[in-house]
Amino acid sequence: CQGNKDIDITALDIETEPADVLYNQALANIKAGKMKEASRKFDAIDKQHPYSEYARRAMVMNSFANYRMGRYSESINSARRYISLYPNSEDTAYAYYLIGLSYYRQIPQVTRDQGTARKAIAAFSEIIQRYPESEYVADSEVKLRFARDQLAGKEMQIGRYYQERKEYAAAVNRFRTVVESYPNTRQVEEALARLTEVYFAMGLTQDAQAAAAVLGHNYPDSQWYADSYKLLQTEGLEPRENRGSWITRAGSRLIGGSQS
Amino acid sequence: CNTSETFTQGYVVDSETLELVPPGSSKEQVLLSLGTPTTKGDYGQETFYYISQKRVRNAMFMKPRLVDQSILAVYFDDEGTVSSISNYTLEDGKVFDTIHRTTPTGGKEETFLSRALSSVGSSGQAGARQIITGGNNSGL
Amino acid sequence: AVVNTIDVRGNQRVDADTIRGNMTIKPGVNFTNVDIDESIKQLFATGLFSDVRIDQRGRVLIVTVDENLIINQIVFNGNKKIKDKQLEAIVQSRPLGPYSETTIEYDADAIREAYDRIGRSDATVTTQVVNLNGGRVNVAFDISEGGRTKITSINFVGNKAYSNGRLADVINTKRSGILSFLSRKDVYDPDKLRADEELLRRFYYNRGFADFRIISSSADLDPASGDYVITITLDEGERYSFGDIEVESTVAGIDAEAVRRHLASRKGAVYSAEKVEDSIISISEAAAADGYPFAQVTPRGNRDFANRTISVTYLIDQGQRAYIERIEIRGNTRTADYVIRREFDISEGDAFNQVLIRRAKRRLEGLGYFQSVNITTQPGSEPDRVVIIVDVKDQATGEFSIGAGYSTGTSGATAELGISERNFLGRGQFIKVAVGGGVDTRTYRFSFTEPYFLGYRLAAGFDVAKTEDTSQDDYDIETLGVTFRVAAPITDRLRTVVAYNYSREEYDPETGATFSAPIQDAINNSPWVKSSISNSLIFDTIDDKRLPREGIFARMTGEFAGLGGDAKFVKFTARGSYYHPISEYGDIIGMLSAGGGYVASTSGDLRVFDQLFIGGETIRGFESQGIGPRDTNGDALGGTTYFNATAEVGFPVPVLPRDFGLRGAVFADAATLYGTDLNLGGATVNGLDMQWRASVGGSVIWSSPFGPFRIDFGFPIAKESFDKTQTFRFGTAGKF
Repeated sequence: CQGNKDIDITALDIETEPADVLYNQALANIKAGKMKEASRKFDAIDKQHPYSEYARRAMVMNSFANYRMGRYSESINSARRYISLYPNSEDTAYAYYLIGLSYYRQIPQVTRDQGTARKAIAAFSEIIQRYPESEYVADSEVKLRFARDQLAGKEMQIGRYYQERKEYAAAVNRFRTVVESYPNTRQVEEALARLTEVYFAMGLTQDAQAAAAVLGHNYPDSQWYADSYKLLQTEGLEPRENRGSWITRAGSRLIGGSQS
Repeated sequence: CNTSETFTQGYVVDSETLELVPPGSSKEQVLLSLGTPTTKGDYGQETFYYISQKRVRNAMFMKPRLVDQSILAVYFDDEGTVSSISNYTLEDGKVFDTIHRTTPTGGKEETFLSRALSSVGSSGQAGARQIITGGNNSGL
Repeated sequence: AVVNTIDVRGNQRVDADTIRGNMTIKPGVNFTNVDIDESIKQLFATGLFSDVRIDQRGRVLIVTVDENLIINQIVFNGNKKIKDKQLEAIVQSRPLGPYSETTIEYDADAIREAYDRIGRSDATVTTQVVNLNGGRVNVAFDISEGGRTKITSINFVGNKAYSNGRLADVINTKRSGILSFLSRKDVYDPDKLRADEELLRRFYYNRGFADFRIISSSADLDPASGDYVITITLDEGERYSFGDIEVESTVAGIDAEAVRRHLASRKGAVYSAEKVEDSIISISEAAAADGYPFAQVTPRGNRDFANRTISVTYLIDQGQRAYIERIEIRGNTRTADYVIRREFDISEGDAFNQVLIRRAKRRLEGLGYFQSVNITTQPGSEPDRVVIIVDVKDQATGEFSIGAGYSTGTSGATAELGISERNFLGRGQFIKVAVGGGVDTRTYRFSFTEPYFLGYRLAAGFDVAKTEDTSQDDYDIETLGVTFRVAAPITDRLRTVVAYNYSREEYDPETGATFSAPIQDAINNSPWVKSSISNSLIFDTIDDKRLPREGIFARMTGEFAGLGGDAKFVKFTARGSYYHPISEYGDIIGMLSAGGGYVASTSGDLRVFDQLFIGGETIRGFESQGIGPRDTNGDALGGTTYFNATAEVGFPVPVLPRDFGLRGAVFADAATLYGTDLNLGGATVNGLDMQWRASVGGSVIWSSPFGPFRIDFGFPIAKESFDKTQTFRFGTAGKF
């Protein structure tokens, strides 16, 4: 198919409309929900009035329009371009936020590569650390926690895979990673319960008791604790904390729970 | 023909180096001769566990069966010197069935259709080039 | 110093605030020379300015900039073979980016180079720049693609052991031929030629030529025709065989004698680099199994020039003690983590063992789900810890396939439309739906396979197939079949398949058609249900499924029908083929094959359609169902026992260029089919006793880009009067 017809560039005159007219047309399109049209208008501003004040605002709004259309890589590209051109303008925080959101929307289920989750965490941490008072911090923290929970979920999934194959050393280390690096995620309860199971299966009963004790201490009414308790009871054992162990130290951090 | 395969996994114990860490030797001494522990323990002072397992798989399709497991546990007292060394074997392990429930996780679920369409699109030409003639086998 | 205002000068298009935003100096804040340099660097980094000057006058900072010309639009004209999108990726200049002559020149060269890569080295690229108002320009690349530079011939100099044709088969770059527009392999590319050299080295090293050297490989452009002539000069050197094989171990506890058993390299056999590598793998695996995963195996060969042998000593010593801390799997956007992780026989916490990692890599590549699999290692958190990084790139495993076939046997011309997915939902499962048909047949088929059934390496699955066949002139057949199968590998080369088959056949005869007793009896019993279980044992060491040169393929199948249903019989079939090259030089391959089968009813008489039917697909020169017991009006009744044997010699078609993929063959077939378990109802039947039929003939095999086709010309030399012969057969090449 002869898709690329030849264009004589001399005749290629560029009709320029005033930037503000284009900008308002774009905003009207956004209100009407016609994102594709809005994005085209923003592109026109960028092309006809490059690097003007309107072009700056158009660039970040274009990133928003693309995000709403689900065209995440385009949204990220124009947000990145905005940040490199205008590193400390008042919309730079918003650009980081759009990057975070675009990656966040692409986070796959835990059996897949969590690269996008890691990138979302990086973008949201950038906002929390560089623009602490910006209005995007609250939502960034919520989404950051979800993304971290995904990373913890992946460790758990691999841990369970090794536990099922009785490869206990691998399973213990994966579950430990969750307790040590992702203490304030939903997965940590199950991680402690699985640690109890694996230690118990290996015959290291004191370690099983310690893990169950930390679980009970932090999540006394969790179903996972009830299961672990029942498991220890089969050998007449009680959850028993012991101060020196890594898990008790990790456990105390749970109670503190301040660690971001 | 012998179709069985054996796998020795985890830590490789050799008895000479074991004599190098009698009770009373320091934690650095243990790290130097036995190396980094497979995992650390949770009871009393820090405990080093060196875990090794042995599996046998009788035929390629079988699951390797755990036939032997030895956990070398090195306990330390408060001054960080070796207080005792003990060995847990397969018999010490408990047998029970684990909890089947898992904590829910999120993430985009890839439906069959979204994937089939995306793959057909990109592999359209591949498909046309890969032509199979009628009456082939049933994908064994 | 401190300023309270920043005055921006010289900017036409770029907004003053944008410039201020890109500077570290802020009004009212102290700054030093370092800040001035930093601001200048940042402003240049935006690429918008050809020059930036900052100087201070009292309380005012003056920033003067000269703006770059901005590219408004880039256009590619005259390009057909490479689309705009691809060219946009190649050139560095970007719309809205800065314009500079040097980058434009660089881009023109990049485009020329891209055309060179697809075999159009005489393409020319000129650039055109037009000024617009407001410091903006339009850029156009005018491309004239020129003709296709072909490769007229590839010559080898110095090859005595292998013919030019055989070596041409080894390398990827091919001569230009009428079909090369499909494969695109006739494009000269220096990197591809270097890769071809590596293929040649490997080919010779694996066939005893340890001293093989490539003296030179050149591609000369003939200015008149604008085509390439590739000449590869090589020195084969002597052919070596293995001398004494020794095993020395510095690791106590590994006894050299026991390890020797695992060696693939045998004394006296032809030297092969591949066999040495396989020996290293098997020694390492044996050592790891005995608890010495850190054993390091290094081969040391020394040549004996007089009687041309290489004796190899395998040295085993203790390698560095390192354990795997984590196995990180990356890039799997489509395939699930466990589908990749389960191909590793080692796991986290185990000893780091290169050999088992290489084996996992080979297994992953064998799955066919990935474009690329590369495994690298990174230092772990402790000196004796290693992290393994598995980087995979998923590939589209869904296929939309169109199948066309023609066999002069039963169904004539057939076509099949299918959609299949090898990695269903990333779980490694295979799923296929296919609809097919011919002049008078319809087939519908659905199959599913889970490669790791219940965590075992068992490929379990099921197939549902429905066929309507109206090709017989006086009765139509409709069959519905469901098969549940489990395939289990016992060793790398031996696997077994257990299957349960349920099939229901329905016959409806034309009104007024007459049949012999057995067929009439079968039609009366319609619909006929067969519920059977079967077990096959498959031994397979074939080197290359597309063109087997070496190896054995043997399959034995036993089927017991009678778990309910109407069919009650025991059936046993077996077939074995052995391939061996007769002449390496001429690439002439010999094949011997033999087979047999027996069926017996377990209660009452057999039904005619459950008997064994032998014809053209087993002994060429005969029609399908062409031999064996036959009733008086010519309908084949099949038999209870058959034997067959084949000898065939395959060779490349001498005259035509090799890359047409044409091969010839001459063959001799023999077969017999006899005995019956039918209730003949007094009808006279010929051919019940054992009579050998034989035929000779020739074939042409074409491995076309659309799939393998085969034409056979068979001439019966021994046959029964009532057999049905058929000289010409055309259809798919052999299936494995």
